[in-house]
Amino acid sequence: MDEQSESPVLGEVLDWSEGGQVASRARRAPVRGRQSRAEALAWALFSAGGFVSAVLLPINVAVIGVAFAAGWLPDRALAYSRVLHLARNPIVKLYLLVVIALPLYHWAHRFRFAIHHQFGIHAKRLAAAACYGTALAGTGLAVWAVLRI
Amino acid sequence: MKEDGGPRYPVLVRTPSRTWWLRAGPYRRFAAREITSMFAALFSALLIAFLFALSLGPHAYGRFLSFLGSTGMLAASSLILAAVLYHMATWFRLTTHIVVIRLGGRTVPRNAILAALVVAWLAVSAAVAYFLIWF
Repeated sequence: MDEQSESPVLGEVLDWSEGGQVASRARRAPVRGRQSRAEALAWALFSAGGFVSAVLLPINVAVIGVAFAAGWLPDRALAYSRVLHLARNPIVKLYLLVVIALPLYHWAHRFRFAIHHQFGIHAKRLAAAACYGTALAGTGLAVWAVLRI
Repeated sequence: MKEDGGPRYPVLVRTPSRTWWLRAGPYRRFAAREITSMFAALFSALLIAFLFALSLGPHAYGRFLSFLGSTGMLAASSLILAAVLYHMATWFRLTTHIVVIRLGGRTVPRNAILAALVVAWLAVSAAVAYFLIWF
């Protein structure tokens, strides 16, 4: 019952919003098969990216970012020859692609809605194209970088 | 009266203010989660630059490392780490809410799932740290 008493009063909700506009119910296009499949793919990548960001990213940021800059790592840890040898391993390449690409799709899916929610820009198709396009471009760059090594 | 799929009756849609997401705790926490994903993406960009520097040879790699070790990058990395840890904490919390495991007709308590997740996370982190630092 706590939930009930904490929920805002209707008058408050109306006071929060500024101005009104009359819109028709039918302005949202119906979801078609292809679009819903794309939506499902975006959700799957978003979910996988959230998992990778939570489980794999903290230790990578802590070691490569913070510990290296703070001087806590032994000198040979990020030495050129050692890192090159490590990065040429196909399993490590796959790991790098996962750690780089999946958080990008997580970001894309969130930022797409942040553009709508926080920035107040409502060109939804453009925003989605820009966000997922950036994630795709990042994936392409990561694949290219991994293949160059 | 129109019957062609258009508006049959006017519907009042309030335009929310630009700062609606700052007004209540749950909205602010949702926005914070949205923002942490930006830092995760920044780290992806950093890793891509890292790999390109590595592929360009020891000279470029050395210059990238001196950039990575600068005071500004220490501050940036600390910020990214804080954001990613916040994301991790909220992810663990929501996962223990979503995942329901039934064992022998009983539901595994949330705290047990959380403990298992933390142990798995520690093991994965230790393995990654081993490969990154000592392997």
